[in-house]
Amino acid sequence: MIYLDSAATTLQKPRTVARAAAQAITTLASPGRGGHRPAMEAGATAFACREEAAALFGMESPERVVFTFNATHALNIALHSLVRPGMKVVISGYEHNSVTRPLYAMPQVEVRVADAPLFDPEAMVRRFKEELEAGVDVAVCTHVSNVFGYVLPVEEIADLCSKRGVPLVVDAAQSAGCLPIDGTEWNAAFIAMPGHKGLYGPQGTGLLLCSDADTTPVLSGGTGSNSLEQSMPEFLPDRLEAGTHNIPGIAGLREGLRYVRSRGTQSILAHERSLIQQMVDGLRWMDGVEVFAARREEDQAGVLSFRVAGWDCESLGEELGRRGVAVRAGLHCSPTAHRTAGTLASGTIRASVSAFNTPAEVEGFLSILRRTLSDATP
Amino acid sequence: MVYYLIICRSLTYAQRTAAALSRAGITAHLLRTPASLGERGCSYSVKISHRRLAQALQTLNRAGVPVERIYITQGDGSYKEVEL
Repeated sequence: MIYLDSAATTLQKPRTVARAAAQAITTLASPGRGGHRPAMEAGATAFACREEAAALFGMESPERVVFTFNATHALNIALHSLVRPGMKVVISGYEHNSVTRPLYAMPQVEVRVADAPLFDPEAMVRRFKEELEAGVDVAVCTHVSNVFGYVLPVEEIADLCSKRGVPLVVDAAQSAGCLPIDGTEWNAAFIAMPGHKGLYGPQGTGLLLCSDADTTPVLSGGTGSNSLEQSMPEFLPDRLEAGTHNIPGIAGLREGLRYVRSRGTQSILAHERSLIQQMVDGLRWMDGVEVFAARREEDQAGVLSFRVAGWDCESLGEELGRRGVAVRAGLHCSPTAHRTAGTLASGTIRASVSAFNTPAEVEGFLSILRRTLSDATP
Repeated sequence: MVYYLIICRSLTYAQRTAAALSRAGITAHLLRTPASLGERGCSYSVKISHRRLAQALQTLNRAGVPVERIYITQGDGSYKEVEL
């Protein structure tokens, strides 16, 4: 199997991740739920994971690194903390349903879409500026489009938001682990990310990096602190971490973070970009293939979309799967992104890479696709 | 043995406290706060030697780690709050 679906979940992980998660199941209990050794060691593992994340993402205090179940959970906390009925929220035209669905579910919230052409960061900055000047209460921007790999100009948008005092939520689902993320410099209210993609942790893990913005828990319950009180603690991370932690997941995520820090995000990004460029070079020679690739290298990360004339993207994705290539086809839970890019009717096929893919795998994928297009019926 | 207990509002704060002290060369042990001292229910504390309190407070102040309350052990096993 050639696995090219890391934008959904990285399947190939550092070996230490599975080892740590497996060991945690039999040796670690629950942080904050006792003074015995398995509980204290679980607490030490969780704290070490927070410290790894704080160091990677420029967070001054590890308690501002909150464990979540995934990026969607983290985004829900961020949005429920900031958005109230009657508010206007500007989002980029490349947001995932993990942003749009919670927003559309909130009563009397006006969602304004900063839509700008694909791979045109200057236009995106202009659109955000227009919406901010028109008056919005909260801004949300994905760092990298999960459909097109488009790197949005988050630093510039964060700067605009800071100047206007508008809290910003950054969805770093596709960028955490491969692009620089600075939880302090950006001055974002919240940065949400999964643990199971570019951070190479197990599924069921995510992180929310919190500024000093007020927070609203989406879950209430036991925290192992302030037990006499019937309201959630006011302090982080306890305020946002009700219930037993996913300690095997956190133990694995810690190892994933260590891997990313030791290899370096720049090295991972360079590797992924070179694989994507190899794909683009191969796909462009194939008849009927339309590739969505940035002209400038810095505008795209390790995700690439394409479609093929005469082929339904789901059928082609399925055929590739039968032939041993794992890609994702369809709308990728991001109708907003497809609407903005003009691919809503067709959807696309998405190939996404990780630090563990190789040029030989990309060559294998291109070869299988070439054969499929020549000998299979659309 | 006489020692100080730094009461922390959560496990994570206690871990941060212990980590900052350890980095400064001060031996610090993490433990559950004795029930008699836990004003709001469960919490964690950091135990340090009675000789290191001043240095510990300086270290925590420099590291920006908040200190809630500190207790010193009495001869009879009870605790007395230290005024900060």
